[in-house]
Amino acid sequence: MKALFTLVFIVLSSSSFATEQAEQLFNQLKPSLYQIKLIDKASGEKSSIGSGFQISEDGIIATNYHVISSYALHSKKYRIEYLNSEGDTGLLTLQSVDVINDLALVKRKIDTTSSDEISFFQLSKTAPHKGEQLFSLGNPHDLGMIVVPGTYNGLKKESFNERIHFTGSINSGMSGGPVVNKQAEVVGINVATSGNSIGFLVPHDKLQNLYQDFLLTPPESIELQMTAQLTANQNKLMTEILNSPWQAKTLGKHGVIPIIDVPFIRCWGDSNADKADALILTAVANCSLDENTYLSSRFFTGAMEIEFRYMQAKDIGANKFYHLYQQQIAHAGAGNRAGKDNVTQYQCHHDLVMPDNQMINNKSILCTRAYKKFPDLFDVLYLSASIDKNKQALVSHFTVAGIDQKNALAFTRKFMEAVSWN
Amino acid sequence: MELIKEAFVTNKVDVKELVIEEINRNHKLLHRHKIDKPCINIGRDYHNDIILADPHVCPSHISIDYIDKQWQITDNHTINGTFIENSKEKKQDANQHIVRDGDVINLGKSQLRLLFSDHAVAPTVAFSPFESFINLMRHPVALFISIAFFTIIAGSIIYFNKPIEVNFSQLLVPAIGITLGFALWPAGVALVSHFTKNDARLMAQLAVSFVLFNLMWFSSILENIVTFNSSGNNILPIFMTFTSVMLAFGLFWLNSYIGFHMSSKRRIVISACLTILLFGGSYLIQYSKKPDFNPRPNYNATIMMPSFLLTTSSNVDEFIEDSSKLFDKTSKKAQEE
Repeated sequence: MKALFTLVFIVLSSSSFATEQAEQLFNQLKPSLYQIKLIDKASGEKSSIGSGFQISEDGIIATNYHVISSYALHSKKYRIEYLNSEGDTGLLTLQSVDVINDLALVKRKIDTTSSDEISFFQLSKTAPHKGEQLFSLGNPHDLGMIVVPGTYNGLKKESFNERIHFTGSINSGMSGGPVVNKQAEVVGINVATSGNSIGFLVPHDKLQNLYQDFLLTPPESIELQMTAQLTANQNKLMTEILNSPWQAKTLGKHGVIPIIDVPFIRCWGDSNADKADALILTAVANCSLDENTYLSSRFFTGAMEIEFRYMQAKDIGANKFYHLYQQQIAHAGAGNRAGKDNVTQYQCHHDLVMPDNQMINNKSILCTRAYKKFPDLFDVLYLSASIDKNKQALVSHFTVAGIDQKNALAFTRKFMEAVSWN
Repeated sequence: MELIKEAFVTNKVDVKELVIEEINRNHKLLHRHKIDKPCINIGRDYHNDIILADPHVCPSHISIDYIDKQWQITDNHTINGTFIENSKEKKQDANQHIVRDGDVINLGKSQLRLLFSDHAVAPTVAFSPFESFINLMRHPVALFISIAFFTIIAGSIIYFNKPIEVNFSQLLVPAIGITLGFALWPAGVALVSHFTKNDARLMAQLAVSFVLFNLMWFSSILENIVTFNSSGNNILPIFMTFTSVMLAFGLFWLNSYIGFHMSSKRRIVISACLTILLFGGSYLIQYSKKPDFNPRPNYNATIMMPSFLLTTSSNVDEFIEDSSKLFDKTSKKAQEE
């Protein structure tokens, strides 16, 4: 009985200690926290809001790229403003972005004549350890600055670009806000949530790198900087994918498909084996890269999806099988969202193709569309349908967003040669 | 020239025979009378030689008399008058007019054409080779076969594209429906030719139309095979589209050949216009529905079972080589826009 009391007491005291600590931290950090607002010049009203925090004496404020993305792409339409804890507002200028890690640096004018000491956040030197208590700061839904306690749960396993898994509720509007440890050092930046207290943070070292690069060579133009980052990222991704083992796997009875053995590509499967009245037995394997680089609210890139479909006719003739099969492959669409301002329309090429191993004969289609603002980057869609068996078919399909010509063709070649019959 | 013609006419009119044709506004023949009397009475009451039912015609409207080897029109002080149809002057009073071969006179709302019995007729039109083809096709057995063939193809297309199991009657009803729908076209053409005082010839229209419809099925299957066997670089599929345009033109040409009497030049113009209307119209409809920007790719997904595969396939290198041109093409587009 006594033991139980102690336990309850300890739990109680530690929780009240945490609250106290959060309050203390918040008051200490409040002056360096900002709400970032994007103001539409024509209407004079805010079009998006987020949070930001000062990281240097000379007024550099870190936030998310997606908070200021509209300004980065259409700088004439918007202006960026901040709102600090004392209710003062002022203009911000965009200095540098890291579109892959969703970070941006903006700058506010510092009054040099004022003798007040300017406080700013310190970036942590070390990564937090698993289970460490962290505090996320930000301004959710324009409700005012808040502090949310939570725990560090390591890096998200399946993501190509590192993200911290943070257990604690992050809400929209807190984007760009800092996450600090008990020593008030920044260990991450709020970026996304998948609900139910699962939040994602950009690790602080990404911000460190961006800031150091900015101090060394400030970017000439944000658009060129973004192009360089997108190009470098797809190069890194494709080099890793092309150099990873591709394991041959059987799909359905006779299909052979490649499964790319990297942790950031995850696969799912389904079939209609339980449907007795289906005319065609279908087995589907889906693999995708869970990465979606945000460029604007209507333009995402970096995604990759791969789909294989094995089909076998049950009680129907070859002619009918091929008619239904054609319906299945007639409506492939893009894997990422993009609009008229961002990309051209797709251009396609189709041909009958047999790889050198002569194991399969396909009708193959490759379509590409080019990015308008980021030269030499493309969205690519590939679809291939086997045409050499009367009552069996193997469809192989992929879409890759934001890839250059060399990588796209290298990937297509390797993909085409990896699909066959056994 | 005018004088010589006049003299020629006056000299020849001693036969005393006049052909009077009742014609409609488009100069299509309604009735023809050949009269061998020196005085011809025309009007609405029953003692006339030619009785017109037109309420705007007076009971004794005109008389045409043979005087001095000439026919002369006399208007009997009618309410609505009598006029010579003349391209130069709109209304030329017909009273005391000396008839010339081919004159058209207006009485009330009726038209009469006056011809002398030696009026030259158009040369005889020889049977075209199509005539024997049409006669062969309109034979009941041939007609039945082509309609049955059409229905079978329609039914099998429905069968091939149904993703669920279907029984015979589920196919038969829509197949017959499609056949009846397509039969509306020849039936419509026959109806129009009937109303324009031509021979309806429904069986011939049906026969010819269904033969052409079957040829169109056949050409679309052929087009599919060609598309399936050719790569994106091949221009052969465009020629196949040309074939279906020619078939449509052939259908319209035969329809008008059977249904209407007209000069061959006019027939070609009308068929060409209908073909342009059909293909141009469907192109316009497609074009107007096309969105400003299509986020989906528009590719050729034609596949057929292996027995239709007639060509050898390219290898991966060739495909990659051809595809690489797409990147240049879209890059150029992106820079332009």
